[in-house]
Amino acid sequence: MINIDFDNIEQSQPTLYDTLASDVKFLNTPHFELPPNANPGDFLRETFDHPSAPKALEFAHGTTTLAFVYGGGIIVSVDSKSTQGPYVASRSVKKVIEITPTLLGTMAGGAADCSFWERELGRRCRLYELRNKELISVAAASKILANIVYSYKGYGLSMGTMITGWDKTGPQLYYVDNDGTRLHGQRFSCGSGSTYAYGVLDTGFKWDMNDEEAYELGRRAVYHATHRDAYSGGAINVYHVQKDGWKKISSDDCFKLYQKYYNIVPINKPAN
Amino acid sequence: MSIMAYNGGACIVMVGKNCVAIASDLRFGIQQQTISNDFPKVYRINDKCFVGISGLVTDAQTLYQKLVFRHNLYKLREERDMSPRVVSNLLTNMLYEKRFGPYFTEPLICGLEGPDNTPFISGMDLIGASVATDDFLVVGTMTPAMYGVCETLYKKDMNEDDLFETISQCMLASLDRDALSGWGAIVHVITPTQVITKKLLGRQD
Amino acid sequence: METLKLSALPEKDKQQPISHGRFEAYVDNGGTVLAVAGKDYCVIAGDTRMSDGGYGIQTRKYTKIFQLTKKCVLATSGMQADTIALQKRLKSMLESFEKEHGKPMSTPAIAQFLSNTLYYKRFFPYYTFNLVAGVDEQGEGWIWTYDAVGSHERVKYSSQGSGNQLVIPLLDNQVAKFNQQIVEGNKDVSCEQVVSFVKDSITSAGERDIYTGDFADIVVVDKNGVHWEKFELKLD
Repeated sequence: MINIDFDNIEQSQPTLYDTLASDVKFLNTPHFELPPNANPGDFLRETFDHPSAPKALEFAHGTTTLAFVYGGGIIVSVDSKSTQGPYVASRSVKKVIEITPTLLGTMAGGAADCSFWERELGRRCRLYELRNKELISVAAASKILANIVYSYKGYGLSMGTMITGWDKTGPQLYYVDNDGTRLHGQRFSCGSGSTYAYGVLDTGFKWDMNDEEAYELGRRAVYHATHRDAYSGGAINVYHVQKDGWKKISSDDCFKLYQKYYNIVPINKPAN
Repeated sequence: MSIMAYNGGACIVMVGKNCVAIASDLRFGIQQQTISNDFPKVYRINDKCFVGISGLVTDAQTLYQKLVFRHNLYKLREERDMSPRVVSNLLTNMLYEKRFGPYFTEPLICGLEGPDNTPFISGMDLIGASVATDDFLVVGTMTPAMYGVCETLYKKDMNEDDLFETISQCMLASLDRDALSGWGAIVHVITPTQVITKKLLGRQD
Repeated sequence: METLKLSALPEKDKQQPISHGRFEAYVDNGGTVLAVAGKDYCVIAGDTRMSDGGYGIQTRKYTKIFQLTKKCVLATSGMQADTIALQKRLKSMLESFEKEHGKPMSTPAIAQFLSNTLYYKRFFPYYTFNLVAGVDEQGEGWIWTYDAVGSHERVKYSSQGSGNQLVIPLLDNQVAKFNQQIVEGNKDVSCEQVVSFVKDSITSAGERDIYTGDFADIVVVDKNGVHWEKFELKLD
């Protein structure tokens, strides 16, 4: 039997140095700070949803993104506009996120959420590669992302993203969103202009089109979405995913495309 | 979303030397969906007076039709056109009549006044609080952007060509920062002898 | 006999508190910052008014621009307390980086670092709207512009804060020359021209934005370091 003398246990008092050191260590370790009182998912809404609230933190929103699989690989096509309410914050956002040299992700919803977590996904994919001496499959990569966002369910993350790449099993396309949905598919579109893009994409799709036709289909689908959807626009970026990785095909300003498609010269003419 | 931003739209008026200019965008939308890109918000009342009405389009059209009706009666009775100042006062009263169930519109009035063709511009809120200035006025869904450019680019006593260039640049620059208006613009420059109307090619996104 | 009581409101409604105490995490102290980058320099301007979130002014001399390194400054509008906390945190981290690596952090690295710092408070954000301006390793001037939770973009000109929407279309027109069919003159504008234009811009913002005014800090960053200048705005 072991006897413990409870009266003579030395109490080690933390010194001021210990406290400071642990504070510094805490500050230097990446971690998410949580609001002091509320459920993290409700905090921002409760803070800004009353008459005397300060101007709300409007995060960048509004998008048309699409990706589809065809005979020659995968096409990813996106717009580049970012809006905060009716205000256009930027027309030059990079909504295709280059996760690794073989994986692409797209951005819809919260810009910070997408770029931060897809950057983190890139880090984890690289670690996987170093540990296992082979590239991660698209299925596994998209599942890492889905598991991350699922673990933050209820925290108010906002993202709708397509993860694409070419692995041992061929061209792969996954859709992952903030409530943890993860779908494998052939054609996806995401964001406020997605319905318009689907219309053009589904009408024009042929499995055995050549690469140029596929680029133009992706471009046209997003172009027509930018025309009808107020919150999409800017330039259209097209990427092509092939066996040996992805390639950026083009970046065309919507205004230039409008002039090209409808043969309109930029000279101001009298109306009558 | 505010009812004033339901259809989107933007309108600017500016005063030059012996001339005034009025510009509006061409978009007609329902929230984020663009329905038409050939929908000016500027209406001709007579050759010396134009009004631009932003806000809810159904109310803008009703208000315009009522205004034309009153203008026609005035012409029959007085055998002359309404001057811009009279149009402004009339609109103020028409809007205040609906003080507790307003038209969701903000009109701008511009024109040349009297035998000397003195430039006149005025604007008002949705219940008719009017203000007349001697430089420029803006209404629409992105007024901060319009104020920002107009405040810097506007100069006093511009001739009709400079006035056209200034109001066009102000319009296009602010439209590019507004998701709910744009898709081209229309500009009218009112001078004592003629009305110069031009359509501007603008971004279609 | 019962007396008839005349009362505008039923008694039970009267006892309802009009408002209850709530935890107010944020106050918007307002202010505008803007920056324009040239070939080998950056010009940053920020007004020095600090408002109380309403019509009041708490001080007319609150500098919104903070020097991070010899090649890089941070311009922040939004909530003053969060701004100070953010500046303090960045300063401490940059100091420990310099001690560990024996050289200051490069400007593009600072830009990414600020993004991460902001995102780590994704669920309890800093109420700050930031611009990072500076010269990169090649000596070229760049601006990084942020939202409150760290979404960022590298650009040649930008603005943040209460007068942001007034200034940006002006910069689109005068710096990027959008919608100008005939662009006259040399494309490489001198630093002096940019400084004078930036002064005009912030003066214009002060005309229409009640949260912008008093004085402006005009900061020039180039290969020689960071140069500060004061500029007067309207006090009304």
